[in-house]
Amino acid sequence: MPVIEVEHLHKRYGDKVAVDDVSFTVEQGEIFGVLGRNGAGKTTTVECVQGLRRADRGTVRVLGLDPVRDRTEVRQRVGAQLQESQLPDKLRVREALDLYRSFYRNRADIDELLADLGLAEQRDTAFHKLSGGQKQRLSVALALVGRPEIAILDELTTGLDPKGRRDTWDLVERIRDRGVTVVLVTHFMAEAERLCDRLAVIDAGRVVAIDTPSGLMSRVDGEHRVHFRPVDRLDDAVLAALPEVTSVRRDGDEVTVTGPEEVLQAVLSALAERKIRYSGLRVDQPTLDDAFVSLTGHAGAPPALDGRSS
Amino acid sequence: MNALSKLVAVEAKLFLREPVSLFFVFALPLGLMLVFGLPQRGAQPEAATGQHGELTFLPSIALSLTIGMLALFTLPMALGIYRERKVLRRLATTPVSPALLLVAQVVVNLVMGVAGAVVTALGVRLLLDQPAPANVPGFVLAFLLGVACLFAIGLLIAALAPSARAAQSIGPTLFFPLLFLAGAWLPRDQMPTVLARIGEYSPLGATVDTISAAWAGQTPAVSQLLVLAGTAVVGCLLATRLFRWE
Repeated sequence: MPVIEVEHLHKRYGDKVAVDDVSFTVEQGEIFGVLGRNGAGKTTTVECVQGLRRADRGTVRVLGLDPVRDRTEVRQRVGAQLQESQLPDKLRVREALDLYRSFYRNRADIDELLADLGLAEQRDTAFHKLSGGQKQRLSVALALVGRPEIAILDELTTGLDPKGRRDTWDLVERIRDRGVTVVLVTHFMAEAERLCDRLAVIDAGRVVAIDTPSGLMSRVDGEHRVHFRPVDRLDDAVLAALPEVTSVRRDGDEVTVTGPEEVLQAVLSALAERKIRYSGLRVDQPTLDDAFVSLTGHAGAPPALDGRSS
Repeated sequence: MNALSKLVAVEAKLFLREPVSLFFVFALPLGLMLVFGLPQRGAQPEAATGQHGELTFLPSIALSLTIGMLALFTLPMALGIYRERKVLRRLATTPVSPALLLVAQVVVNLVMGVAGAVVTALGVRLLLDQPAPANVPGFVLAFLLGVACLFAIGLLIAALAPSARAAQSIGPTLFFPLLFLAGAWLPRDQMPTVLARIGEYSPLGATVDTISAAWAGQTPAVSQLLVLAGTAVVGCLLATRLFRWE
């Protein structure tokens, strides 16, 4: 059963088109990714889903409701974490949760939530004394304090160190395990690949693909690359003659063989047959990054130095 | 507890955790009054002349200072920060309207203003050994209209300032000329007539005069009260019209 239905959403600011034509549905209980570069229209799309903005064209239904007309009801049932939203410096973790909790009909248990998000020890810490990861987790906690059916998380891991990022990913999976549908807005390929059940790739205000991460990756006929260093003498022509191999290259004593998915098996058999020993075996497979490039025609998101997207 | 009372409680806590605001509201007005008031302690009314000679001038300007600083410094700055940090936008994603946060801020600043006024009035009574406000209804009316007028201007600053930093500099830039027009430095009876006239109907000048008159037991000038009320209404209307949520 879809919990979010977006059809032909169009939104412009003045004469700048932020979202041109976006359609997708989100099923109950999944982690749905909205992936795109900064400025692709991701945030505007979810803002329309939240009812923070009114669509110029198209329809948006959330839990069967109109997020603008039935705004109060939708907000009772949809929790949101905003990109770069802060709290007053001297507000303490527990106070913030207690305050936001009072806005909702269904109220989560604060101590349980704090323990779940690893913030139990920070309950009396003021906001400005929290680390980046702790602030982010508090922001997620605030999105969950009203026991939402859907949680919308926007650029959750921007600005976090690799450890903070991995912890946050675990957290998102735990949220889903509680039965909450998660909409994850991101420009990090690795994040989308790791977390999302399905994702919509958005580019220049349009959906270019909706699929599972592996489905997207299989759409690109990306080359697999096998690297190794032969210990015994090896004639490159032997490998080049294999039907699975498209090219053989040498760089110093390292050999790189490219070809479709089966190339690894073919190379390894050929080497074993001729009893050629090797070291430093490494395989590069196409990633979501490659899929993104081939779908949108340009390289993945540059690291967001200013952390903004729209 | 409902959302508004929760918001007011939280905003009050945050206010009390800011030593700078506490200083502006409670310590500065009282301190100024003592510095300037103690030398003339026990002076007879007939010994002094002009605006600064009136015994009720000093406590009135101290009170106006408290209100003015809350309205023009702390209120616009807090709202500017809330907008800049996307606190207002964050609230918009909850079932509660971000307008409630503005209401809570105004309520907290009002309560602090009243508390500051009480402290100042007690200080005048006990430390300077001067009479308490004689015309109590007039005093309350003048105080409330002064508060409404200055807070409306503060809200307008919050609505128009492009950033918290801008709000932080617009407040004082406006406050010091207003203080001057109120006669804080040069008594208005020594100003050129036009300037004195403008001062009389300026937000802070009208507040000081009406509070001072009521304190002395007279009836505050109706024209000045009307100007305060008018400014309050216009300011509030413009502020609600122009307020940017993000």
